[in-house]
This record gives sequence, C-alpha cells and structure tokens, in this order.
Amino acid sequence: MPDPKSLSTPVIVADHIRKNFGGVSAVDGVSLSVAAGEIHAVVGENGAGKSTLMRILAGVIAADEGEVRVNGVALSGGPRAALAAGVALVHQELSLIPDMSVAENIVLGSTPTSAGFVKRREMLATARSALEEIGVEVDLDEPISRLSVSLRQFVEIARAVARKPKVLILDEPTATLTPAETKDLLDMLERLAKNGMAIIYISHRIPEVFQLCTAVTVLRDGKLIHTVPIPDTSPSAVIEAMVGRELANELAADHAARTVGDVVLSAKGIRAPKVNGVDLEVRAGQIIGLGGLVGAGRTELIRAIIGADPRTAGEVSMTANGRTRTINNYQVAVRSGIGYVPEERRTDGLALSMSVIDNVVLPNRSALATAGVLRNARILDYVGRLADEVGLRPPRIQQDAGQFSGGNQQKVVIAKWLGRRPALIVLDEPTRGVDVGAKAEIHRLVRGLADDGAGVLFVSSDLPELLDLADIIHVVRDGQIVGTLPRAEADERAVMSLASGQKAVND
Amino acid sequence: MSNVRTTERTTAVGRARTVLARRTEGRAVALLVVVAIVAAVFEPVVFSSFPVVLGRLALIGLVALGLTALILLGELDLSVASTLALSGVVMASVPNLGLGIIAALITGIVVGLINAFFVVVVGINSFIATLGMLFALRGAAFVISAEKPVPLENIDAGIAFGSSLLGPLTPRVLLFFVIFAVLQILLSRTRIGREFYAVGGNRQAAIDVGIPVRRRLVLGFVISGVVAATAGIINTLELTAADPTAGSTVLLASFAAAIIGGVVLTGGRGTIVGTLLGALALSILQVVLTLSGVQVDIQDIFIGSILLVAIISDPSSLRTAWVRLRAAITRSRTRDTARGLTGNAADQ
Amino acid sequence: MAKPTFTESIGVVAPTSTELSTGARVIKFVADRGIIAFTVILIVYAAIFVNGFASLPNISDVFYRAAPIGIVALGMTFVVISANYLDLSVVAQVATSAVIFIGVSNQAGLAPAILLALLVAVIYGVVNGVAVGFFHANAVIVTLATTFVGLGVLRWLSGGSIFFGPNGGVIQSLGQAKVGPIPLSAIVLIVMAVILGFVLQKTTFGFSIRSYGSNKAATRLAGVRTGQLVVGAFLITSISAMVAGFVLAAFSNTAVSSMAEGYDFQALAAIIIGGTSVFGGKGSVYRTLLGVVFVSVLTNILVLVGLTFGAQQVAIGVLIVVAVSIDAIARKLVKN
Repeated sequence: MPDPKSLSTPVIVADHIRKNFGGVSAVDGVSLSVAAGEIHAVVGENGAGKSTLMRILAGVIAADEGEVRVNGVALSGGPRAALAAGVALVHQELSLIPDMSVAENIVLGSTPTSAGFVKRREMLATARSALEEIGVEVDLDEPISRLSVSLRQFVEIARAVARKPKVLILDEPTATLTPAETKDLLDMLERLAKNGMAIIYISHRIPEVFQLCTAVTVLRDGKLIHTVPIPDTSPSAVIEAMVGRELANELAADHAARTVGDVVLSAKGIRAPKVNGVDLEVRAGQIIGLGGLVGAGRTELIRAIIGADPRTAGEVSMTANGRTRTINNYQVAVRSGIGYVPEERRTDGLALSMSVIDNVVLPNRSALATAGVLRNARILDYVGRLADEVGLRPPRIQQDAGQFSGGNQQKVVIAKWLGRRPALIVLDEPTRGVDVGAKAEIHRLVRGLADDGAGVLFVSSDLPELLDLADIIHVVRDGQIVGTLPRAEADERAVMSLASGQKAVND
Repeated sequence: MSNVRTTERTTAVGRARTVLARRTEGRAVALLVVVAIVAAVFEPVVFSSFPVVLGRLALIGLVALGLTALILLGELDLSVASTLALSGVVMASVPNLGLGIIAALITGIVVGLINAFFVVVVGINSFIATLGMLFALRGAAFVISAEKPVPLENIDAGIAFGSSLLGPLTPRVLLFFVIFAVLQILLSRTRIGREFYAVGGNRQAAIDVGIPVRRRLVLGFVISGVVAATAGIINTLELTAADPTAGSTVLLASFAAAIIGGVVLTGGRGTIVGTLLGALALSILQVVLTLSGVQVDIQDIFIGSILLVAIISDPSSLRTAWVRLRAAITRSRTRDTARGLTGNAADQ
Repeated sequence: MAKPTFTESIGVVAPTSTELSTGARVIKFVADRGIIAFTVILIVYAAIFVNGFASLPNISDVFYRAAPIGIVALGMTFVVISANYLDLSVVAQVATSAVIFIGVSNQAGLAPAILLALLVAVIYGVVNGVAVGFFHANAVIVTLATTFVGLGVLRWLSGGSIFFGPNGGVIQSLGQAKVGPIPLSAIVLIVMAVILGFVLQKTTFGFSIRSYGSNKAATRLAGVRTGQLVVGAFLITSISAMVAGFVLAAFSNTAVSSMAEGYDFQALAAIIIGGTSVFGGKGSVYRTLLGVVFVSVLTNILVLVGLTFGAQQVAIGVLIVVAVSIDAIARKLVKN
C-alpha cells in the first residue's frame, strides 16, 4: 500500500508541453501530473494529441516548449534517459523482435551479461519475475513470432515492467485484446498501482476508463480540456468533453436529398483477420460511413470487401451497368468499377517520386492508350481536366506528387479514380492530415460523385465529417457492425457510445 | 491467478514438437534426410568416406558461415568471392608466410570496414556497395598478381597444411569447425550476437532500446570479410599458390547453403547450425553425385534446382502463392455455381 | 475566378522546391544529369589526348565490344526499374543463345536455331518471372539458381566444346557486316535501344513497370496485375540476352558455354552508371545506353593507355560505388 504522502506528491509532471509538427500544433500547452499509485486516464478523439504527449513523456520525441519532471528532476536525453529515470512506455505499435525468445525480448537493451556472454539464468529470472508481476504465463523460450497478437502485447508490457519503472505509460493496450484478456490486463494494472506505480492509461474505451482509473484528462485538438477525478464525472460528460464542438457551424453543408438507386455493392458474411462477419450494402447515390475507433477493424473490413487483402469467408458482388460480378480479387474489383482511396496515402495511394500525370494515368492507362501505346496529347488533356476538377493547387501536373501538400496529394488520389466515373468509390480516412480548405473540397468531390449516381463507402474517425457526409452510418467495433444510424438519428454522442462500447455496458 | 497463457504442451511428444516447430532449419534437415536416403541406396560408401565429405563441407561452407552472420543483420555481401581471391594474392605476395597470413587477414578486415563505410555512413544499399567491391577487389587481385597465379614461397608449409592432422581431419576441416563454433557461440550465447537478430528482425525497435546498430553492422561486414579472407588463406595454402580467379563458385554455394539452411535474406531469422546443415546436405549430394559418376555439369543442375525450390518454398513465398492459388480456385468455383444457376434457370 | 486554369500552368515544369542550397543542387544535378556531361567530357578528352582513340578502326572496335553487353544491359534495365535488382542468369542465357545459334544452325539451319533460342529465352523469362513475381522470391537468388541450372544444362549438352561457324557462312558474314563505317552489331544495339526505349517510355506496359518500381503497393491498388508485369520484365531481359547471344556469336563466329562470363555484373554496372536507380522506378533505356557508351569508352581508353584488365575492373568497381554514393548523398540532401 502506498503511504498517503506519496499519493499527494506527483511522480511525473508535464509542464506546459508544446509540440508542433510542420506548423501544425499537435500538443498545445498541456500540463499533467500523476502521483504514485494513481491510474490516470488520458482520453480524446483520434488526433487529439494523446500519443504525441506520451511520446514526449517517454523521451521518444522532444517537446518544443515546456518540460517533463520525474520526482522533481527535469528529463532530457532521449528514451534511454527517460527509462533510467523510471518512465516506461508501452508502444501502440509493437516493438518486439520476432525471432528472439520471450525472455530475450523482455530484457532487450539491458541484457545481463558476464564477459559479453548472456547470463541466461539471470535473464530468465528477470523475465519470469516480470511476467509474474503482470500475472501472465508464457513459455520463456518461445520466439515472439509464434505468439498471438494479444500475448505479444503482454510481453511488451512485461518488458516495460521489467525495468522497474516508477511511471508506466500504456497507449491503447486493449486495442487488440479480447474481453477476457482485457479484464486480465485491467486487474493487472490495478495490482501494479497498488504496489505504488504511477500509471498513465490511454484508451478510447470509456467503460474501461471508468472501471480502472482514478482521474481522467481530456485532450481535444492538442489542448487540455480538463482533468477531473473519476468520481466527479460520468461517461457521457467525458464523451461530451472529447467531442465538444459547436455543432451549429458544422451543419452548414447542403443536404439536398439525393435519389438513391439500386444496390451497387453487396457484401455478405465477410470475415478476415480483425473482421468478424459483416453484411453490408451500398446503393447508387448513397453515401455510407463507417464509424468506430482506431483498431476496430474498419480498414480491414473494406480491404477485405474489395479484395485488396484476402478474406477468409464471405461473398461480394458488384452491380454496375446492369452487370453483376463476383468480386474475388482486387483486379476484378477495379474492373467492375470500384475506386479505392487507401488510408496510407503516401505509401499505398501515390507513387510520390512520380509526377501527378503518371499517378493519374496509372489506373486509366488502358483508356489513355491506343494499342498499348500511351497518347501524350490525350493524357495531358485528361489529367489537366481532372486537375481542374479536383482543384489541384498549384495545378502543376508535371510536378512530383510528393511535392504537394497532404490535401492536394489526396486530391490526386481521388483524381486517379474520378475519370473512370466509378460505380463505387471506397475511401479510407479521406481527409486525415488535410487542411480545412482541401477538406471542404474533398467533401464536395465525394458528394459530387454520389450526386452523379456512384455509391460511396467511407471510413472516418473524424466524427463531424462522418455525420456531415454520410447518409447512413454503420458503427464498427471488434470487427462487427454494432449499430446502424440513419442521418436523422446520428449524432456524435450516439456514434461514440456505440464505438466505445458504452451502450453495451449500460444495457 | 490469471487465465492468460500459451497453450502449453505437457506431453513429451508435444514438448518435442514445440521445440522442433521453433527451429528454422527444417528445410535443411529435410534435404539432408533425402540426400542421406539417396546416398544409402545408391552410394553407401559415402558414409565411410568422412574425409571426402568433410573436405567438401569445409570448401562449400566456410564463406557461408561468415555470410550468415551478415545476412542475419539484414545485409548482403556480394564481394566475398573477390575478397577470397584478393586476400590469397596478398598473402602469396608476402615472402614470409606468417606475415602473409596476417596481411591477408588485415585485407579481410579492411574490406569489411570499407563495405560497412558505404552502407552505414554513406547510406548505400549493401547489395550495390558490395557489387562495386566485387569488381574493385577482383581487379585489385589481378593487378597485384599481374594476372597470373602467384606461387607460395614456402611450398612445404602448404603441403603440410593439406595433409591430415588429427585422424581424418585436415587443418582446413579443423579451421572450419573452429569458425563454426566461434560464430555459433557468438550468435547464440553472447549479447552482441543476439543483438544481430534484433538489428535484422526489427531495426527500429533495436534503435529504440539503445542497441548500437551501426557498430553491429560494422562487425557483421568485418566478420564476412575476415571469414572470406580465411578461406582465401586456406585455398592458397592447399594449392601452394594464389589464383586471382579463385572462388568463382563460392558466391552461389554460400548463398545456397545459407538459404537452404533457413536463413532469411531480409534478416533476423536463421541460424549458423542451419547453414552448416545446408552446406552438409549440399556436400553429401555433391560427393554422392561424383561417386556415381555424374558429371559436374549435371551436379550444377541439381544444386541450382534445389536452390530454386528452397527460395520459393520460403514460408512467406508459399503463403503468397497459396493466397493467389486459393483466389484462383474460389474464382473458378463461383463461376461454376453461377453456371449451375443459369443452367437451372434454363431448365425451368 | 482566381483558380488558375490548366493551360496557364502547363509551361511550368521546374519543381518549386528552391530551398535547396547551391551545393545540394549541384549534387542533385550530377545525380540526375551527370552521366551525359561525363560521357561527353570523356569522349572529348579521349579524342584529344589519347593516342589512337579517334581512329575509325578503334571506334568500330569500341562498338563491336559494346554491342552484346549493351544489348543485355538495355533489356535488364526493365528488371532493375521494376525494383528487382538484376538478372544474373543472363550469363547462361547469352551463352546458350550463342551456342544454339552456331551449334544448331550448323546441324539444322538458321531458322530452327533461332526458334529454339527463342523458346529457351521464353522459358528463362517465365521461370525467373514467376518465381519473383508470383512467389515474391528474391530476384538475386532466383536468377543465381537458374544460372546454375542453365549453365549446367548448356555444358552438359554441349560437352563444353567450342562451336565454330563455317568459314564464309551466313553467320560470319553477318558478324563482319557493316553499314558504311558502322558495324551491324552497333546498329542492332541502336535499334534495340529505340524499341525498348519506346516500350518503357511510351507503352502502358513500360509505364506500369516504372510505376511498380516506384511504389509496388500503389501500383497493385491501381488494379495492375503485378505478377504478370514482373514476368514481362524478365521476358524482355531474356529476349535481349538472346539477341546479344546472336550478336556475340556472329562477331567471333564461335560459341562456347563460358563466353558470357561477367555479363551479369557488367550490364548492371552500365545500368547503374547510366543513372538508373537500383531502388526501382527511376531510370530509362537511354540512360543505360549512355552508361554502356561511357563504360565502353572508358574501358577502351584504359586499354589504349596500357592499363591491365585488373585495373579496368578496379575502375568499374570504383565507378559504381561513386555513382551510387552521389545518388545516395543527393537523396539525403533533398530530404533534409
């Protein structure tokens, strides 16, 4: 049991932290302090600056302004120094070595040696005690590559715990866990806190926060909204604080009724890794939005539907121009009239070192060629017209795609498909990292496509965007559709409640 | 206390199966078994001619051992054959045998350092950097040797080196096993060696936990260079002369041994034991084929085919191919059902 | 409307990133365009200062030597641009083609020889391409394996013997043929460069190859059948190697299984020195042609000034590393 004094004096203090990425403020003057034995939640929408703040606390990136103090001593000198000072971060993306054993991964970076040789017994003892501390049994000699994703997550936590940290930071640790595993994890964190560890817990899942934590800090758009003790707040108040926009401004866009046509895309019983049985339909002229938390399986779902990744079960058919085709692989999907704007614009959407012209020509190469020979005049005309249509700025189509801003890069990705007049366009986070002006233009383009009779299926973690664009919102959690909201019934709180599983808890 | 645990196998058989499933040397063992059966049926004399097999093993496998350490880091060294030739020529050009050997080893170290410089400091892909060195070092060997084999001053030492030392073991075979043991201990028992797996398996994670990645890379290139130089020294001693064209088949044999042994080219996966088994399988195969009177050319066909099968039977390659195959099967099946449906409709 | 129209902007080709320092821009220029300048400087230098370079026999000798390796390099450019490193098996392919060209035509005539060579080339291209494109195996190892198999088959069937074309036969006269002062083999090289340059630059196939080399994921997600694409790249290399085998055999009127040793890395050297990036995507057939000219002229000069074979190899090795270092440094500077 921690003595009352240590509960009152904070172990870690973040003092007016500020961090900009290329002119965009990611964390804006946020302060935070956590005492020993406290489990402190940090919540916020995607992009609220939680992960950046945690990386600063753990010394992975340096703050532009402000400082982090551990037991009153200012932190400097990168992740090693932070670790030495007692701050351990469990990353969101796993950082284990696939072909090293569990024990080796737990001690990695501080492997016990004598004369250069690994002291195996000591290594095993350290690893075993770390695993015992978190209450997990794993064969210490098992290579990581043979463990399940959730066990890897526990090994990652064991690695942090093995450093005997004063402060343990966990970034979305339950994203990949089953409910039973989640319960184990939460029990474990409670135990660690009882033994005097200060824990900072980042999660999208509001019920977990209320079950586990002692206080919650809400971030929005990089700013601190407030820090309140858990007994003084409620789940809906927290969601309100997370979302907290003035809705009136966002509803300006026109919602002219569109005529909805026949079914374009029909997906039944879709299963794939992280997708657990989904039925979905998209009609011509209809905009379907997929809401949910990061890691809920939305990207996996759409990629499985269009055949970009293999599915383990399910049937998908596309009907365009009076022809119905079964979609079994991605090439067929493209030829049946599907356009796909992937989430990872810079790696999957564009060839950054090629010109805008070349990027747009790629999916349209056959139409722009005679007998396999590309026609330059036709290409210039075609790409120029599309650049105008999407509002590319500057409209220098000979320039490399990589030299454009994020918003204009995204316009290029959309332009790739626009010229084909797709029967269905699938977009994954279409406006992530895009400035406000470009965002409005992208929304205009998506509506325009639907107005022209295309079906639209999109994933967005940006709630106002989801509510603004979609005619129907499906909320996805744990690879399943947990709720469907027509525009009339949808608001931010309804989506967030479904997405974070709060509904289920209340039921 | 907790219900999070691995599916623990408690029976002895299950336990053994788990241990086996963790190993990466499966393909090498499979090939070894096949080769051993073939040998037992056609040329059982192989099993009583250890010196021949071991000599062949040391010939094929030595350079592969050093290369394995480097591949585990996720890098390649195409210059090993040239390093072998150059260090031999350097050695033979020095009149004193002892100094010559030292000079040859220094050559190996320097080559490793130059390769590492281009990869680690300049930031060139190791494939291209060592490709440049492949030309440059071979050229240097030609220049130093004036394009002819350089005879060793101390021929007696060479003849002594070629003869047996301990039972059937020649110094070459002994050296091979010494280097095998050193690298095996390095890569399985020491911290530095284990960190090779981290650098090759997840380089960003290795950097994050503070492993000196650059120093590990330099060490890897130096190991590869020194082992190749050692092979050059041995060749020179055995032939009592250094040929600037030496080692032309070394590159293929080394890669073949490592890949058959389960070493993955992208790094982080594989073992020195695997490379040894791969080299052993290849050497027994060669000896069997030679004893059966199969021409060298046909032996090459065998070995090339085995390498081709080995590389496309890599687990990730098989998975890719399997996904495509399954997609093709389901496609034809749905087409069949579609046809069936239209058929029914026509019947009605 | 303030929005600039497309026609207003079409003239602007130069990138806007003017923040690069002068030094960085010089290095980037050298990395992008240096080979042209270097080739011109080298030729002018040789013409003025190197005795015997600017003579007609010497220049036609340069062409004779450049043609077969150059043709291989032109084809292999497709594999390099598709970000698959290189095709080592050209060593076996060129030799096989040459042996078939002379050996089979001695027995059965020219047409069956050419058909058989073509069949062999297709087999090579398909085997290499399927292993790399469909099984996603490393191209270096795959082509290393097919080299071994191919050379083994060739030596086995040919018995390792040297084949001679009949004196005064068709093949010999083709090998000696000239159009004006230019040897026929040089014309074949130029024609191949024009055809392959057209394919890579102007056709949807070539376009997809370049795109695939730049970004495999984005190319696949644009609906391109990437497996077939890789097979195509290897097929073009194989066909080029076949033509190179014909040229090589005709030039010497002999063929032997070891005649193309070193063609793999020499062709790659010409490609890299020409400025085609080994990371794929960036490069062209014309660059490779320049690289071939540069390496051939340089080698010729080194021979003329009396340097040995070994020294030439050192020069080529150093050249590769320097060319790629400039590229790597330019990338770093641009990134910063």
